Amino acid sequence: MTRLLGCVIAVLFSLPLLVGLAGSVVPAIGLLPELAPGNGFARLFDDPRFQPSVLLSLKTGLLATALTLLITLLTLVCAHGTRLWRWLMAFLPPLLAVPHAAMAVGLVFLISPSGWLVRLVTPGITGLERPPLAWVVPDSGGWSLILGLVVKEVPFLLLAAAAQLSTINVESSLRIGRTLGYSPSRCWSRLILPQLYARIRLTLLIILVFNVSVVDMAILLGPGNPPTFAVFLLSLVNEPGLRAAASAGALLLAAGAITLIVLVLIIEKLIATLAAYRRESGHRGKALGTLRRVGQVVVASLLMLSVSAMLMLLLWSVARRWRFPNALPTQWTAENWLSRSDLVLNPLLCTLSFALFVVVFATGSAIAWLESERAGKMPRLDWLWYIPLLIPQVTLLFGWQAMALLLRVDGQWLTVAYAHWVYALPYVVLILAVAWREFDPNWNSAAAVLGAGYWKILFRVRLPLLAKPVAQAAAVALAVSVAQYLPTLLLGAGRHQTLAIELVTSFGGVDRRVIATLAALQSLLPLIAFVAALGIPSLRQSAKQESHAVA
Amino acid sequence: MQSLKVSDLTLQLPDGTVLCDALSFEIAPGAVLALMGPSGSGKSSILSWITGTLDTRIRASGDVWLGDTTLTNLPVERRCLGLMLQQDYLFPHMSVSENLKFGLRGGTRRERSEKVRASLDSAGLSGMEHRHPTTLSGGQRARVSLLRTLLSNPHALLLDEPFSRLDVNLRSTIREFTWESASTLPTLLVTHDIDDVPAHAKTLSLYENQNEHPENVGPVRGHA
Repeated sequence: MTRLLGCVIAVLFSLPLLVGLAGSVVPAIGLLPELAPGNGFARLFDDPRFQPSVLLSLKTGLLATALTLLITLLTLVCAHGTRLWRWLMAFLPPLLAVPHAAMAVGLVFLISPSGWLVRLVTPGITGLERPPLAWVVPDSGGWSLILGLVVKEVPFLLLAAAAQLSTINVESSLRIGRTLGYSPSRCWSRLILPQLYARIRLTLLIILVFNVSVVDMAILLGPGNPPTFAVFLLSLVNEPGLRAAASAGALLLAAGAITLIVLVLIIEKLIATLAAYRRESGHRGKALGTLRRVGQVVVASLLMLSVSAMLMLLLWSVARRWRFPNALPTQWTAENWLSRSDLVLNPLLCTLSFALFVVVFATGSAIAWLESERAGKMPRLDWLWYIPLLIPQVTLLFGWQAMALLLRVDGQWLTVAYAHWVYALPYVVLILAVAWREFDPNWNSAAAVLGAGYWKILFRVRLPLLAKPVAQAAAVALAVSVAQYLPTLLLGAGRHQTLAIELVTSFGGVDRRVIATLAALQSLLPLIAFVAALGIPSLRQSAKQESHAVA
Repeated sequence: MQSLKVSDLTLQLPDGTVLCDALSFEIAPGAVLALMGPSGSGKSSILSWITGTLDTRIRASGDVWLGDTTLTNLPVERRCLGLMLQQDYLFPHMSVSENLKFGLRGGTRRERSEKVRASLDSAGLSGMEHRHPTTLSGGQRARVSLLRTLLSNPHALLLDEPFSRLDVNLRSTIREFTWESASTLPTLLVTHDIDDVPAHAKTLSLYENQNEHPENVGPVRGHA
């Protein structure tokens, strides 16, 4: 039974990945002329937008990833063990739950010429009466996009690193290193970071692939002419007769992502060799006190930027009148939340329908998979879950969409929900795998010798004891589903107006206050889910303890 | 070599509990002072205070000297004190020789490699330069850890129950190796095992009631 269930999950998960890849390859090489006529690669290379968009994607993707890594490592060196670190650990998880599109909108409201940062110093310091013309958001160089990606990815990498720090004996390594004559920053760079990097490498590569192929944030924060490569490909797939070129581009994007991964691994080897050479020299170096302060300022600024961006969404969503250069709205209203049911309520319900499906089925399938793995019926297949995270979404979804069109299942609710499930399942499995694999088997034995069967042990022992990680994994599933833009767009055929779709589509054309309300709502859903995930298991436990105490 | 001196050390926990009050002692080069006491008596806190790594929540006053130089306000890395803990803490991303070179100060590449080889030979670990720490036995790891500490050229040695995790058969060998290697340094040994204390050591006991200590080796005192 568990083996069969495990097989079904593995097949259901792998099938769209294979179909997606095949669906990109086949049209790209001209084997599907009725859907994608012509030579895809030739058309793609002939397009004048091709080269500049590739270069832009390389610039934004690589710079954002390098900055993300640099700021993360700097934060660890400069802030670990300080009060700032405790603040970061408290604020970063909720920021991680904020979808990219919502964060992008918040940043636009913050850093644009008419944004809050300018308003705060206007007219007092700037003396301006109108928004300055010195810059625009999005800018043509892609710097706003780089900022947006860094703001979103630093919390992701930093939390991944923080989770791994518990596997390294940080305090003792620092203590030993310092008594051997090395300053704290040198101990970090020579003792802790080399061990830590190996543990966060995969997360970094996922971020790299995401950064070079992101679509929703690139539409909101990236330049329009040329757009990033992924956005350019999205425009091709919607143009009649250019699907072959789009598919060819999607394959190139995947090849580019693999090349970048290899490049990163080569650079990593070079740096490791240089670092080992430097380490062996025994050179103690000087304490990096200034660097420590710089690092603390950088990460504190980034944190404040993220929190302010979220504040912008909330303020704009309750503003009736907010003219430049006022730092706060002059008139307030709840109208944007309450009486725009067509613009807000319908996308909310549509988003919730997919999110609830994903919460139930992704959590359920992850548990079923881990149960089959625990019983020895299925092997550990961690590499499988990483595939959709290491292949650009554009590559898989163009192919998936082509197959959905051929099978006439595009636009169906279940097709979109299936795609959400595929993208949420890896996160849920990887989160739950830690708890499942570390679960003390003696609990099972203790229940079994009392006469409990498999199902009783699962529902009365394992699941209650693992309620916290299960609730957290379910919250992550919801957050992933709420943020899905490209799968809903490409497979939904415009029939499913989720918050993500509505937000990106309406941006620029609809009232700021409505956009802010959509973005705030999109951020609040995962936040509520995370609060519930943290709170409900604790509440249940304390209620049980209370009733036992009364008894 | 210079002596290690602690004067008027008082340690107080956040809840007001006094771990030690006006404790003073001096350890001459080549001498060993064994600080003995039950768990929670403050042995390791005293050692942490000397190295400069004491938990900041513990209130501390007093001075620590190395010869005529006060270490009290120096950062850990400039105190030139060698530290060995219960665990060996060999860095897992470095080979044996890399671990030793990490401790070693100065010298050309050739000189450094030569010193590492010679120190491994002296510890009966010849040819183990390129071995990974995880492939070593407990005794070998303990010796490499001590060598790493000694190669950093410390002016005093602080040992925090360094033999407690070794199996019984190994302990006497490693103890002997340690006392031989540290024969010119002032050494402070924190332990609760009387067998760890070498014959030539003085003892400073933190047992409140000397009768509670089955093998009392020295008087309770604020000075040693």
